[in-house]
Amino acid sequence: MPGIAFPQQNHILDALPEAERERLYSHLKLVALPLGLVLYEAGDALRHIYFPTDSIVSLLYVLKDGSSAEICVVGNDGVIGVSLFMGGETTTSRAIVQSGGFAYRLTGRRLKREFERQGETMHILLRYTQALITQMAQTAVCNRHHTVDQQLCRWLLLSLDRLPDNKLAMTQELIANMLGVRREGVTDAAGKLQKLGVITYRRGLITVLDRHRLEQLSCECYSVVKKETDRLLPLRLTH
Amino acid sequence: MRQRTDSPPCNRFTVRRTFLACAHYDMTLRITAAATPPGNLLLAALPDNERRRLILRSEPVELVLGDVLYEVDDRVRDVYFPTASFISLVSQVDKDSRLEVGLVGTEGMLGLSLLLGVATSPLRALVQGAGPALRIDAADFSSAFKRSPVLGKLLNRYLYVIMTQLAQMACCARFHVVEARLARWLLMTRDRAHSNEFRLTQEFLAYMLGVRRAGITRAASTLQKRKLIHYTRGRMTILDGRGLEAVSCKCYADARRMYARLMN
Repeated sequence: MPGIAFPQQNHILDALPEAERERLYSHLKLVALPLGLVLYEAGDALRHIYFPTDSIVSLLYVLKDGSSAEICVVGNDGVIGVSLFMGGETTTSRAIVQSGGFAYRLTGRRLKREFERQGETMHILLRYTQALITQMAQTAVCNRHHTVDQQLCRWLLLSLDRLPDNKLAMTQELIANMLGVRREGVTDAAGKLQKLGVITYRRGLITVLDRHRLEQLSCECYSVVKKETDRLLPLRLTH
Repeated sequence: MRQRTDSPPCNRFTVRRTFLACAHYDMTLRITAAATPPGNLLLAALPDNERRRLILRSEPVELVLGDVLYEVDDRVRDVYFPTASFISLVSQVDKDSRLEVGLVGTEGMLGLSLLLGVATSPLRALVQGAGPALRIDAADFSSAFKRSPVLGKLLNRYLYVIMTQLAQMACCARFHVVEARLARWLLMTRDRAHSNEFRLTQEFLAYMLGVRRAGITRAASTLQKRKLIHYTRGRMTILDGRGLEAVSCKCYADARRMYARLMN
């Protein structure tokens, strides 16, 4: 649990110029996002945009028959609620907290007003949207072509980049939900990583011991997404 | 043969005159195009004066089957509004791992990253249905986009549609069987080709759906046995659209509904 949260922990809020910070920061509200909380379901009206500080939120696309798969993961590198400024008043994905923590929240109305000024906030959020598109497209092709072992590595790395340390509180069931695979598949893959000494997994807590090795075992999808995000949002990075 | 002596020397004047004649012809074409309602739904949704302004800046082009308009990370030099053609958006990891994640036809536009202030394309854009499109230079388009709130609002909504389509296709590729996905793909293509018949190879289908060729062959022959399609020598004919919809996953109907809800 973090002692104090502050807006600059979120890279988007941190990158805003002085004038825009002054305008927006006073309207931000800090909210706790516990693990497993559903911020919104597909079809819900979007009332707020969230800027995570130390939490991670997964966006899942849910099919009619109820099966779902993660299409992107958002942490202190981004925002949840980009459809707000695209004019889609409702969301088509489910947003679920994948790693508990905090986020700042801004009302949709306030964000739209800021967007209309066409300042840096707008430009940063639009560039972030392109980074999201890249992540979604990469996830799509990764889902189709790469093994669960590789996908688990990619997923752990994406999560790790959004966390302050190398520990991730997570159940195998949730990971299986995110990757859209059966739980046994995740158990097998996690077991292999544990045997290789790359992670330890105990009572819902994953600790990454060898990040370098994890990168080697992952498919290239991780580095593609990371490179593109860094290029589009050349901001301070945690790691 | 009689030598022509009276032909004018090819001087700067004649070159200029020819150029002007061509420019005039080109302008006439564009004005005609601007006056008639375009076959592109996004352009058709604009108020008359805005549409005219945009079309006057455009250039009619013929898209050729299999042409790559942008590779991943290519600079977006032009945007395209298909008027009777369609383009696949392909995400690719390497030569063997690719997947179609979007389809842009007369209902859409190619080059959305300009809206986001990014000059490069995140996806490969491959012409899948040959035919005409209107092409607009990136700088011209960006300035039109910045000046027109109506155009901005419309294209932002379309961006939302494309992002949802992307998410849906990712999920669909994960869970649905090849047969259902093939049916969906054929229906989406039919809607954009505005025809029940189109040319394609099984290899191309395998590439788009990210599956092995044998999987496509099996799925196609099942659909053929049920008399939903007819496939021979690179020619695909949809015989029973309704039947195909019943076989397709719900993703097809969902995507159509979403487009109708957001864009109308």
